Amino acid sequence: MAERSQPSANYRGWPVLTALTIVSLPLLLMYVYLFLDTVTVKPPDALLPSGLTLNHWRFLWQTTAGKANIWHVTLNTLLFSACTTSLVLLVSSMAGYVLSRLNVPARGFFLAGVMVLHAFPSVTLIIAIFIVLQMIGLYNSLIGVILVKAAIDLPLGIWLMKGFYDTVPWEIEMAGVVDGASRFRVWRSLVLPQVKPGIMALGLFSFLSGWGEFILPQVLAPGNQVQVLSVYLAGFLADDNNYDFNMFKAVGLFYLIPVLIVYALFNKYLMNIYGGGSKG
Amino acid sequence: MKTSRTLGLVMIAPAAVMIVLFFLMPVVLTAVFSMTNMTTATGISGGVYQIAPNSLITLKSAMPEIAAEMAEPRYTIDEAGLKAVEGLGLAPAIAAELRAKHAGEIFATRREVERMIKDLAERPSTREVKHISEQFNRSVLNTRFDSKEQLFSSLDGLGFKLTPEQKETVAKTTYTGWTWTTDNFSRMASSPDMARVLFNTVLYVALVLMLFNVGYALLLAIWTHYMPPTPASIFRGIWLLPRITPVVIYVMLWKWLAWDSGFISILMGKFGYPPKNYLLDTAYNAWFFVVLINGFIGASMGMLVFSSAMKAIPKSQFYASEVDGASRWQQIRYIILPQMRWPILFVTCYQTLSLLASFNEILLATNGGPGNATEVWALSAYHTALRNYAGNLEYGLGAAMALVLVVIGVVLSLLYLRVFNYGTLVAKPLIED
Repeated sequence: MAERSQPSANYRGWPVLTALTIVSLPLLLMYVYLFLDTVTVKPPDALLPSGLTLNHWRFLWQTTAGKANIWHVTLNTLLFSACTTSLVLLVSSMAGYVLSRLNVPARGFFLAGVMVLHAFPSVTLIIAIFIVLQMIGLYNSLIGVILVKAAIDLPLGIWLMKGFYDTVPWEIEMAGVVDGASRFRVWRSLVLPQVKPGIMALGLFSFLSGWGEFILPQVLAPGNQVQVLSVYLAGFLADDNNYDFNMFKAVGLFYLIPVLIVYALFNKYLMNIYGGGSKG
Repeated sequence: MKTSRTLGLVMIAPAAVMIVLFFLMPVVLTAVFSMTNMTTATGISGGVYQIAPNSLITLKSAMPEIAAEMAEPRYTIDEAGLKAVEGLGLAPAIAAELRAKHAGEIFATRREVERMIKDLAERPSTREVKHISEQFNRSVLNTRFDSKEQLFSSLDGLGFKLTPEQKETVAKTTYTGWTWTTDNFSRMASSPDMARVLFNTVLYVALVLMLFNVGYALLLAIWTHYMPPTPASIFRGIWLLPRITPVVIYVMLWKWLAWDSGFISILMGKFGYPPKNYLLDTAYNAWFFVVLINGFIGASMGMLVFSSAMKAIPKSQFYASEVDGASRWQQIRYIILPQMRWPILFVTCYQTLSLLASFNEILLATNGGPGNATEVWALSAYHTALRNYAGNLEYGLGAAMALVLVVIGVVLSLLYLRVFNYGTLVAKPLIED
């Protein structure tokens, strides 16, 4: 019997639970084995591991020949995600406020434009962007990829921030204006603190999406010096010479752990973005 | 007081600049590039005019005699050559006589020019003759000309008798840069490979959308809706994993499951089946996994949208229906589904566009294989323009393919804007200063 909070009173829960567990099994298997395989040894035809080892994690203290150093790559990834995130936050928290509150010419048009871009699949522009970056000399540089990635996340960010600003009561600003503060000052010290959850959500989303981004760095900055973890791992997978799946998994887990930590701590912030924002 | 206006313009400027630079400009440029024949060979900046062996082969079919002549060196008694002769340190009379009697003459072969030099009053030795004639060797072969005019004047200077049309033909075949053309579109329209890719794309979008992004997402939402809060949130968390996992790892996990040394192979091995690569052994299997891989990611968005929409349905409707003796199925059929119309429409529209353009997962999982069974439009554009085995990347054709997607994307997103009526969201500001 379910309790009062349930939408249903005369109904048994176990058939649904069983069904869901069965369909979720492939996912559960994959993620459980991702953890298991990185720290254990397993005979090639066995389903269960037979001993513990740290050997798969050797990439942390020795660099495979012809590959970039993992720490260097991690630093690149961190730089890439952090810069993208700060750029997106800065630009969209300003633009969102303007679209929500200020009277600028062509506001409706800009808003409609952002909305269209939000649905528009930006990855189709990658060929043109690739040629442009080659022309202006930002090909194979982190700055180029950061700018492109930030621009692609921007419509979502502006839209999200506008939504958060819309929920802030007008009285706060009115009071500020009456007390003689400039509109800028009102935004800085009165309105921004009100939309902290939005900034938090957008920042987390942007960081995660930058951390996981693959195709942009792969196309626009494939060089060893500016490699990020996704490109590094994809290079490992494509390399037939030193084929060691358990080590790939260790690299993968190393790459995944920050994501899982962020997700576990802040999933309530992220939910409202994944529910309608991100592409996929 | 228009301070808010200026402030607004200043604050929106960075966003506007970035959107113009990275959205509007690439859209326009995609259209521009699609009208060119840019490839790795032509480069992306301007080219030069160069009569290379391969352009001579092309010219041979149009004007065989002229092509044959161009392949040979020519000897022109010009000022530069005379200066060089003076610098050789031979008898000054040689250069003087050449200048006086033969300046501007053109000789088709080495033998002719050397005969002329031998007949000079000074009678240079055979070695000197060779030396002198070398100074006047003016071949057009493999010389780079920065402009059409330079090419033409050089051809004229070497005594090639060409009509203006022939000149244009020569210029066209010897140009190494890219030119404007509409060939990309006719190639796209007529190629059977493209038809195959188009079919794949439609199949892929339809399958993933119906089975997972809407169908399975709805199922997940209804299931978790009828569950106590704790397990419901656990399952939602599990199904969100594919979306937050970086795509490279996510696909790697699927490969681990389906490869010949992977989990499924080992599991089936226990029942006596030989190990095989379940991901790539047949087109059907590849399709099965491609749909599954993308579907597992896509299901989470629909799940969240539908779940929050179901939370908004008043509880009293469920209680009332149960008092009236409605079964579970009738509740779903008559209460939940009718109220899911807009969310379903929204998810369908949104995901159609996303799926049309998404190729990350397919690129990493099957790379369009086996053969090109799972090659979809966006992936094909990527392969054409940015990564192929032939090594000559066809930017122009790739851009033309991308342009198709860009046009579809713009049209559909404008359409959605009308359908979902976002105009209502633009309220006037309350503080006018």
